[in-house]
Amino acid sequence: MDATSDIRVLLIDDEETLLEYLSKRLLREGFTIKATFSGEEALEVAKNETFDVAVVDLKMPGMDGVETQKRLKDVQPFLQCIVLTGHGSVESALESGHQDAFQYLLKPIDYEQLVEAIKEAYKKRADKMNAQFRKKVEELATSGLGSRGIKKALNELRKLYGID
Amino acid sequence: MESIDSLQEELKRVSQALSSHQSELHQTRGYLHCILQSSNDMIFATDIDGILVSFSRGGERVLGYTWEEVAAKLVRDFAGDPDDFERLMAASRERGSAHQGEVPFVHKKGHTVYCDVFLIELTNRGGQNVGTVGVCRDITMWKNLQEDLVKIDKLAEIGKMVSGVAHDINNPLANISEISGWVGTVVSDADELTGEDKEELQIAVRRIAEQTRRCRDITRQILDFVRHVSPARTSVDVHKVLKETVRFLQHEFKASPVEIIFDFCERSLCINSDPKMLQQIFVNLISNAIYAVKEKGADKGFVEVKTSKAGPDIEITIADDGIGISPEEQARIFDLFYTTKPSSKGTGLGLPICRNIVKKVGGDIVFESEAGKGSTFTVRLPLT
Repeated sequence: MDATSDIRVLLIDDEETLLEYLSKRLLREGFTIKATFSGEEALEVAKNETFDVAVVDLKMPGMDGVETQKRLKDVQPFLQCIVLTGHGSVESALESGHQDAFQYLLKPIDYEQLVEAIKEAYKKRADKMNAQFRKKVEELATSGLGSRGIKKALNELRKLYGID
Repeated sequence: MESIDSLQEELKRVSQALSSHQSELHQTRGYLHCILQSSNDMIFATDIDGILVSFSRGGERVLGYTWEEVAAKLVRDFAGDPDDFERLMAASRERGSAHQGEVPFVHKKGHTVYCDVFLIELTNRGGQNVGTVGVCRDITMWKNLQEDLVKIDKLAEIGKMVSGVAHDINNPLANISEISGWVGTVVSDADELTGEDKEELQIAVRRIAEQTRRCRDITRQILDFVRHVSPARTSVDVHKVLKETVRFLQHEFKASPVEIIFDFCERSLCINSDPKMLQQIFVNLISNAIYAVKEKGADKGFVEVKTSKAGPDIEITIADDGIGISPEEQARIFDLFYTTKPSSKGTGLGLPICRNIVKKVGGDIVFESEAGKGSTFTVRLPLT
């Protein structure tokens, strides 16, 4: 199985031409891609679809990259974000760091570098999720809940981890 | 007898009054002398014709002339604009006083000195004009400072503009880079192409990628220049960077009579520095050298790239036998936006950026040049 085929990537950038070609290339690479043109649109999509990695442009009209990243993480806590920054916005990039961006890449991006970063971000997400899942299940096992309580808790976990 | 007594009384009174006036006069004169000796302002007095009759120590400092040198000369002849100064004198005679800021005077050494000038009329008991007193404060330093501030302000403004432009160029660049990447993918997948065509197209796509990367590096350099980013530190093979740079500039000298001569020192030169920044320096210096040789239009010309070790430093010398730089140009070549090239070819950014980068990586840059003969730029960089 292709290592990239499982990775669901959400792209967010207001530059439509860039997104069009970047999507095509990443699709060709085997990733599952959803392209959105604003933070607002991305949040709408993220309500119904689970993603592993988001690639967010820092400077966008309306909701900027920092805010978008923060809100996406509220909805999908395990999502890893790669932030694309123009060169002059290191300060914002640092602020973005407080929101736990997985990595920043300078625009115009180096394509190979981006592909590498997406793969690494995916791995980090999986590791984090596994560790957290194990912890939660252990907690559940020692919680002394009845069968109905356990079922309910498992449903919540399913939802949280995007298992359908 | 009585009248003699009273006369003597009168005489005594008058002489007492006189001596009291005399001592008062003495004190006043001492007071004035003190002011004239110690004030930093230029204080002068003229007679009714504007001929100098008094000139303070401060005046000697402001204009560089001694009292003896200015005595009995017309005050207006020391003004930067004698006619304008004469009008100010006339206004003062008419109204009793006059004031004007930033009046130019010419210093003995020839440079202009700016003063804030206050003129007051001297009158005799009859109320007639007998001359003019001038108090002039030297404001040259203040004025220069103000001009510097305006200059700095302008530069900051230009810096902002340039970084805005660089940002705006980055977006289409990013697009070009993605589009060419996609073309590359499509070409690799296209089975109906012959192997030869495929290779040709793939090379072309790779070239586009290289060139966009070059543009990206330029915009990043500009943004770095405006934003003061600290350089990276890795091991850099200077000879390799120089050769790459020359290869990179090939299209500029390929079909020209310019010959590039390498004169590298025998051992390889590895220093601890920022490779991208070094390349930016060399690109600027070598392409300037190529330009200078081409401009001369001789049948044959050279650009020599030489390296050597100099104690704890290394030296890279870029020499050419091109048009050279005139003394007037030499004074300005590191000024931002100063260029002698036609506007389609020069931005006036190359050398200032060079110098800025060289400073950032802890080195320095010097040059020698003779108009018509050629130029030599030497970059000195620390080994570590």
